[in-house]
Amino acid sequence: MSHIHFPDGVLPVWLWASGFIVAIVIGAVLFRLTKKETLPKRLPLLGMMAAIMVLGASFEIVPIAYHVNLTVISGILLGPSLIFLATFVVNVILALFGHGGITVIGLNTLALSIEGILGYFLFRLFWRVLKRLTPATFLATFIALLFSTFAMIGVVSMGTSHYEELIHQEGKGIFEFHLSKEKGGHHPGEAAEEKVNLRRFMAIVLPLGFIGWILEGVITSLICRYIFRLRPDLLHLEKETL
Amino acid sequence: MIQLSYLDYIAVERKSFLHRLSPKLKIIGMILVLFVIVTVKNLPGLFLLYVILLTLFFTARIPAKIFSLTLYPLIFTILFIFLSGFQIFFILLIFLKVLCGSTGVVLLLASTPYPSIFSALGRVLPSSFVMALFLTYRSIFILLTVLEDTQHALYLRGGVQWKHPWRSLINIANAFGHLIIKGIDASEKMYESMVLRGFRDKIHYRRE
Repeated sequence: MSHIHFPDGVLPVWLWASGFIVAIVIGAVLFRLTKKETLPKRLPLLGMMAAIMVLGASFEIVPIAYHVNLTVISGILLGPSLIFLATFVVNVILALFGHGGITVIGLNTLALSIEGILGYFLFRLFWRVLKRLTPATFLATFIALLFSTFAMIGVVSMGTSHYEELIHQEGKGIFEFHLSKEKGGHHPGEAAEEKVNLRRFMAIVLPLGFIGWILEGVITSLICRYIFRLRPDLLHLEKETL
Repeated sequence: MIQLSYLDYIAVERKSFLHRLSPKLKIIGMILVLFVIVTVKNLPGLFLLYVILLTLFFTARIPAKIFSLTLYPLIFTILFIFLSGFQIFFILLIFLKVLCGSTGVVLLLASTPYPSIFSALGRVLPSSFVMALFLTYRSIFILLTVLEDTQHALYLRGGVQWKHPWRSLINIANAFGHLIIKGIDASEKMYESMVLRGFRDKIHYRRE
């Protein structure tokens, strides 16, 4: 749900450009912090986890048009610095297939990496406190998704004035172009109605998001349990308790 | 995503003027398309760009089967219909921007083999990032093969049935868990084979 499915040309340039700058700065800092010897060794794993995230995003759960991100489980397996690079790569590939615009890659990386990084730290925290794998994974996923969805809503709300400008710019541009509507024929009430309705947007996103957070929380917990049964070493947990 | 291998096959197999064009030029063309999408805010301008892209699509001998890929991103624009309060101009503008972007990308991917794209990108972007991108793309093909077997196993265990949501969730999660473990095993083997072939910290892409 936290993935911004905005096409190119909808968000204001300052917003997506700053998204790219922040993502590149964070990426560069994390890249510096990662040991030079470990990165080439872990790149195939990063590629594989990124590919799993891409595949997860391409399977839609039909009635609510939701797809799992698998960012939290990837964050748990890759660690906080590699998950950032992985989400960057995932967003590039998803953008190539029209899953969000190319210009939105930076913002999407920030929103998705919040999920992965927060998921990693919350999972460690809840594991230490609860000592139970399923609730620790579920809570970590649920909270991480909640935060990243609000980050996405924050991004969408920052571009409100730009969408309004797009809605009300009929006839402007290189060619004069009018649709059937007459210019200046708006009533005051009509103008208010034509404004971008963020409340309506949130009213759609949050209930769907809530279902999605629970669904992804359950799926991630079950995946974690499956991995724990077969390859517990991948989770790097101290005590083996379910 | 399943059509990825077919897209790659077309990029290598077909021999149109667009296929023969240098990958660098095609990437610059894609950047120009993006520039138009971001800056042009009127319907005729975007419509003109879409017609040009469609003409390129059908003259480059790209199968019509692939065309459905360019329509897929329209699913995500439904939210905009609500966001705009059903403003027809805004909805058409968004639809055209989406269609131009997706058609441009499909044209690039269907006419350029992916090692050529990564080779061109490797000259301007950090090598670690391009390597991660290349390995991810490569891994998708590996995972698609694993996924095919996993899907058979999933059907044998009852698959996804809305009558039994809990069992379905367990099946989906087990399928992803299986995919992750197989993927991690494959990544370990991939690294070993890369080292055996002389990999240190850079992949050298074959040039055309």
